[in-house]
Amino acid sequence: MALADYKRDMEGCSRCSSCKWVPFNQIKSWRFAKNCPSICRYNFHAYSGSGRMIIGNSILEGRSELNDSVAEIIFRCQMCGACDTACKVYRDDIDLTEVLLELRAYCIEQGELIVEHMAMIDALKREDNVLGEPKARRGEWAQGLGLKDINSETCEVLFHAGCRYSYDPDLRDTLRGQVRLMLQAGVDLGIAGAEESCCGGRAYELGYRGEAENYADDLLSRVKASGARTLVTPCADGYAHLKFLYPRMGKELGCEVLHVTQYLQRLAQQGKLRLRESVPLLVTYHDPCHLGRMGEPFLADWREDKLQRPMSLKRSGRKGIFDEPRDLLTSIPGVELTEMERIREYSWCCGAGGGVLEAWPDFALWTANERLEEAKATGAEALVTACPWCVRVFRDAAAESGLELPVYDLADLVMLSAGITETARA
Amino acid sequence: MTSETMTQSFETISDEAYRDLEAAVGAEYVSREPGVLDGYTWQPTINDDPAKWVKRPVAVVLPSCTEEVQEVVRACNRHGLKFKAFSTGWGVYSGCTYDNVVQVDLRRMNRILEIDEKNMYAVIEPYNCGAQLQAEAMKLGLNAHIIGAGPACSPLASATSGWGVGWDGVYMSYGHRNLLGAEWVLPDGEVLRVGSLDSGLGWFSPDGPGPSLRGIMRGSAGALGGLGIFTKCSLKLYNWPGPPHMKTEGVMLDAQTEPPEHMRFHLCFFPDRASLDEAVYKMGESELAYIFTRTAVGAYVNTFAPHLLQNVSRTRAFRDVLSKTLKWGCTIILVGNSEDEIVFQEAVLKEIVSGQGGLSMETMQAAAIGPMMVMNFLRVSAIPMVFRAGGLFSTALARNEAWDTQMDWAEKGEKIKQRWIDRGGILDDLADNPFMALYEQNTWGHCEEIFQYNARDPKHLASLEPLFVEFSVAAMEMCMEPLSVTDARLREVISPMMGHYNEWQKKISLFLDARRAADTGMYCDEVDIDLSKIDPEIRETLDRMVAKLTWSEEGPPS
Repeated sequence: MALADYKRDMEGCSRCSSCKWVPFNQIKSWRFAKNCPSICRYNFHAYSGSGRMIIGNSILEGRSELNDSVAEIIFRCQMCGACDTACKVYRDDIDLTEVLLELRAYCIEQGELIVEHMAMIDALKREDNVLGEPKARRGEWAQGLGLKDINSETCEVLFHAGCRYSYDPDLRDTLRGQVRLMLQAGVDLGIAGAEESCCGGRAYELGYRGEAENYADDLLSRVKASGARTLVTPCADGYAHLKFLYPRMGKELGCEVLHVTQYLQRLAQQGKLRLRESVPLLVTYHDPCHLGRMGEPFLADWREDKLQRPMSLKRSGRKGIFDEPRDLLTSIPGVELTEMERIREYSWCCGAGGGVLEAWPDFALWTANERLEEAKATGAEALVTACPWCVRVFRDAAAESGLELPVYDLADLVMLSAGITETARA
Repeated sequence: MTSETMTQSFETISDEAYRDLEAAVGAEYVSREPGVLDGYTWQPTINDDPAKWVKRPVAVVLPSCTEEVQEVVRACNRHGLKFKAFSTGWGVYSGCTYDNVVQVDLRRMNRILEIDEKNMYAVIEPYNCGAQLQAEAMKLGLNAHIIGAGPACSPLASATSGWGVGWDGVYMSYGHRNLLGAEWVLPDGEVLRVGSLDSGLGWFSPDGPGPSLRGIMRGSAGALGGLGIFTKCSLKLYNWPGPPHMKTEGVMLDAQTEPPEHMRFHLCFFPDRASLDEAVYKMGESELAYIFTRTAVGAYVNTFAPHLLQNVSRTRAFRDVLSKTLKWGCTIILVGNSEDEIVFQEAVLKEIVSGQGGLSMETMQAAAIGPMMVMNFLRVSAIPMVFRAGGLFSTALARNEAWDTQMDWAEKGEKIKQRWIDRGGILDDLADNPFMALYEQNTWGHCEEIFQYNARDPKHLASLEPLFVEFSVAAMEMCMEPLSVTDARLREVISPMMGHYNEWQKKISLFLDARRAADTGMYCDEVDIDLSKIDPEIRETLDRMVAKLTWSEEGPPS
């Protein structure tokens, strides 16, 4: 596909501005009525989903040109999908997220590159992770856990840790705890260790599609070699890419793909994971964009007139993973869940995605602080989420702003309740 | 990038003028980047020009307060530029109509400054949207009128500058009737405060002791940005006996709202138009209804399930059921302050409906329709669904009038639409797709015949201007004020038949705006229209009317 292939989507914009708001039936206050961090922060219409589509259309019609300023507008966006979900409340014929992705790829084709993203891609090519950490150290987190090495053994369940979890020392206990929960439940678990690579999804989001395909091929071969029937990942970003991007690229992994919260919830339901200890805490849950609205499975492309597209093939955001994390959370004795105003498919983004954290960290932290304020307004004692990128940016934002609200990965609380002794921290 | 390197060239702003704008609002909040400017130039909704791009502004500014708006307006005056306000930006009215216009995007002025619970009014800024105001008002047992264009729109804009109709008008009136005061940056940069606010007495009264200028500042249709920029206004709020928050799961078609106490959602159907009309008048006299609109079942199906309509409309029997059997209906939401009151209201409604041989179906407590639809009506959130069928729509309205006159207009509009549907010029929505409302019980009503079209179909795009003219001629034939009073293209033709109204508007404009700094294209100016594309019989009718109805210098034709 090319940008021109999305002309009909772009010129279909009615400029109703629904893309800027929480779906209207769910607006509960003045304060938390908006859904798009980019337009909220930068204000010009160009920074909205609609505005970026208009830019694309304008470029295609020769009215304006791509330049450094326009490329910055295109990339100052977390690719969180909130605009797409809000648009699709009303429209069947516009795939806003796809237009945004296509605009980014167009920028790369035209040589309009963001320096920080180039550095990220260079690091990815060099070390197979988006953080630029040494590849040889990728599997260090698993030392002493006794996990199978899929490079030499087969397993039932392949655990794909993802870049952030593999290297962030602050999240290491959480990651190890997730694995210990599964091992305790008797799961035949394997990892690729130092051979694990990035899923390539972030490269795709940044417009570097060739790299994304290479990493998909890499993971595909690894899954096949492992013999695993299930792939479990704790990375919400990775989950979305494996569920949607890979099959869309024709890279079928040939196994069930689950987020770790889904898998732990399944184990709990089967009685293999016992949550006995009380964790008396009033919490609120943040839906990670890529586990929630962006986490819908790919079904099929529709190449005809999108006005005639069956509703079942419309990516509305509603078929993401919303209930399993909540079910798991509320199955912990003592945990009480209070919801924020913006939840599920109309959740506010954490701010870390789409290359924003790397290129414009101030914008990422601002976005995260908006969410922390919303969480605080519920009266919750802690914010719980299920994505390492979200946890990272929320903790950094809280530290920066001085807002006192502990941030937990859902697995942290599960560990506490299951009696796993890796130290959970907030 | 410069405009020379682009395929097309556009007007640009001088560096000196741009620096003045930066000084007014801060460099971060000004842009002349063509891609950014085009974000304000793509205005397809209710735009009968197939191109959809309106005039590109030379710059866009984002002021944060009234003082910054004043500075921007003064800078425009100094540099010979025009300016045009832009709030939530829904519809072609927001766009520029001249070259060398600075678009004043009021997005940063987005607050609810005050909700006076006791005196039942709110003071808001331009970028506060209807859904936000309603959500906050409901927490205090109050509610705010939301216009028919939906909850994304600015209540300030519709109250001060244009239109203002909505389904809740039966209880909560019309945009400009709810206006209790306004802070108005005039085209020369001075601030005028109207209503009691001008005397330092607060925002509670539009008519004094400060000056009441509502007729000048907006009149019926509104000046649509042609007389300056409104930076604050006070709006009347109404009783809301429902819960502080309507607990709803889902977002639209999957929405389920917990039925509140003392609320009923009725779908009513009548055997013919006469019985519907009579029932509507009686409902108004009985002061019934919180929300009221006429129900065209085909329009509902078209809006919520366009694929389904496309399929069933091919079958004559289904088509007849939708377009004829269930043609004469209305949707009514009743809200009571107590159980006794809602029981009484419902009894009155049933008596009125049965007295006209109709039937009514309560769907809030007993069926799924009410819980799915109630927020769509209370918050007017279903309106953008009208984009679903083809991507865009436009509308034919004639000035608010008595209910039966509006019903005449609906029938006229249906006939015109059917002809254009038959020739493939617009989408088939069974022709009758009315947006109808009552105001202040039944003293007046509103009707727009909505038509939808495929935004990518050249044949549909080519139909827009002829349809626009045809609807305008039809309205004039019925002695009703057409939508085109706010459109520069037909003013030259219709204004002389309506007392040269825009010449008076021009006098107001010149009085307030000697330098003509405001963009008055939507308000009072004229542009040429090519009438050669219009059907010959419509053209003949128009020529006949012009000959018969044009006012002379002495006054109206005899």
